[in-house]
Amino acid sequence: MRILANPMLRYWLLIAPALLAMAVFYFYPISHVLWMSVTLPEPGVSNFESLAASRSVQRMLWTTLRIAVLSTMISLILAYFVAYVISTVDERRRRLLFMGVVISLWISVLVRAFAWFALLRNDGLINQALIGMGLIDRPLPLMWNEFAVLVGMVHYMLPLAILPLYSGMQSIDPRLVAAARGLGASRMTAFWKIWFPLTLPGVFAASILVFIYSLGFYVTPALLGGGKKMMVAEYIKVQILEVVNWGLGSALATLLLIFVLVTLAIVSRVVDLRKVFGAG
Amino acid sequence: MEQQSFAQDYAEIMREQSARGISRRAILRSALAMGVAPLALGAGRVFAETRPEVVLVNWGGLSVEVFQKAFADPFNAAGGNLVIDGSGPLNGKILTMVQSNAVTWDICDAGVTTIADLGPKGALEQIDYEIVDKSKVVDGFAYDLGVVNYFFSSVMAWDTSKIEGQPSPADFFDIEKIPGRRMIRKDSQAMLELALLADGVAPADLYPLDVERALAKFESIREHLLFWSSGAESQSLLRDGECVMGFLWSTRANMLKEETEGRIDYTFEKGLLQPGIWVVPKGNPAGKEAFHAIASMQSAAEQIILLEQMGNGPANPAGSDLVPEALKAVNPSDPANTAVQAKVSAEWYFENHTAVYQEFLDRIAS
Repeated sequence: MRILANPMLRYWLLIAPALLAMAVFYFYPISHVLWMSVTLPEPGVSNFESLAASRSVQRMLWTTLRIAVLSTMISLILAYFVAYVISTVDERRRRLLFMGVVISLWISVLVRAFAWFALLRNDGLINQALIGMGLIDRPLPLMWNEFAVLVGMVHYMLPLAILPLYSGMQSIDPRLVAAARGLGASRMTAFWKIWFPLTLPGVFAASILVFIYSLGFYVTPALLGGGKKMMVAEYIKVQILEVVNWGLGSALATLLLIFVLVTLAIVSRVVDLRKVFGAG
Repeated sequence: MEQQSFAQDYAEIMREQSARGISRRAILRSALAMGVAPLALGAGRVFAETRPEVVLVNWGGLSVEVFQKAFADPFNAAGGNLVIDGSGPLNGKILTMVQSNAVTWDICDAGVTTIADLGPKGALEQIDYEIVDKSKVVDGFAYDLGVVNYFFSSVMAWDTSKIEGQPSPADFFDIEKIPGRRMIRKDSQAMLELALLADGVAPADLYPLDVERALAKFESIREHLLFWSSGAESQSLLRDGECVMGFLWSTRANMLKEETEGRIDYTFEKGLLQPGIWVVPKGNPAGKEAFHAIASMQSAAEQIILLEQMGNGPANPAGSDLVPEALKAVNPSDPANTAVQAKVSAEWYFENHTAVYQEFLDRIAS
């Protein structure tokens, strides 16, 4: 086994099965989609032209971007608190809290959307409770709008934001904050000058994860938006499966892919992505 | 007695299952996985003597059971092999199969828009009217690329606990008179017609559709609209009181009326009668046998079972005479009901559906 003497080759052989699987089941289909976007119905960039010309596509893309940015921001803020608490409480509580986060990650996205439906609809728990207490006399419009979509999406994204934030916070040496306090920094100063900057890689990791997930989100907006908040994933599905306009559908998929890659490229200029995702 | 090997036992199980209607392909696939393909191929010989398997795809839920009882059981008793699959023959799925030469479906439970979207792409077989009997089809519903299998209607339903008396279709667009949310299907088909009928267009003058006028009607109440995608969804939106009125399929409206004991009511008046259509994907595995299955399902008596169980109107004109008195009121294609409805023009959809559906989605439902 002379060949195996070369360490580089050994490593390549180890990852070869995974690479092969990626090539066959991932890169090939994706390149096929890219190819369709410039060949169907006829070769050329006509699909991208119609994307640029269509007001409704632009409105849909704008809805997608707005909802993705908003749910990323809200998820991040809420997750930051949760991760902070988890990383500072004692071991027993930490386990309980952690379990809560992970369990909610395991519950199907459909089940969660329907749970919100039960809470938010006109005859739902929240509206009925508020009416029962005499605070409102007509049900609040909690369902079938952007509010409901955001609630559902933030709920789904929270564990995805909490986990990277927590892993970042856990690796911070608590003595640093203690040292800052010992040197006379106020609580706020110690937080903003020491703790917060050290959590930034986690914040970036969580934002990228949540933002990219949100961009391609389908189930929650489709169910809670009442069919009025169509995001790009649902639009692509309609083009592929219902209208059977594969050219336009794959052009949108291509656009989404490029947008995600460009976002990653820009972020990588600002921070070291390898560090963000735990390497090195 | 000789000891039975695992492989023999496996082949035996497969043979039993094949008798129960599991496809030969599925058997082969699992046999390959088990490394006993040659034995299973032997099991396949049983098949070669019988007729090829016909896979009929519908939309799942209760309809799988009902199609099995109404259509598959009689056909299979007569020596056929019809299998019902509820995985939902979306247009895109059919096209994917045809274009990748991997068609596994023989008959799809579709509509006029399937012919409109897939016909021009060459994804559908011509219906063989040598085998399928045109005289067992209501006049005008036997198309080149599809044939009616049952009738359904799109109708208006409303919540009697929130609306006094029977609202007129025009009230659907009158938020002042009847406040509250309305729901429509997330599809232009039938919704445009219902809007125009409500706006006073006579059924005879409906086609060609004045798309602009219909879309403007919906735009005028757009913020009060909810959109449903599946029949079950339309049912729950009205049942749960999320909407005061809605345009939905008569089958679902009828189920709602029964389960809410009349709280939700509906009318065929100014509704739209539409055909459900069998289409056969190009290059279907069972070949001509698919048309024999379709011909078998033209039996009026079998179609009445669909009406009883799900409210679908029989496609065979002989069916109307067989409908029990009690079911006449819910039969979409009953003469009394067709008289107050408009009929969909498939020809108009063949020409216009793709573009109009896209415009509807862009302007109303996104």
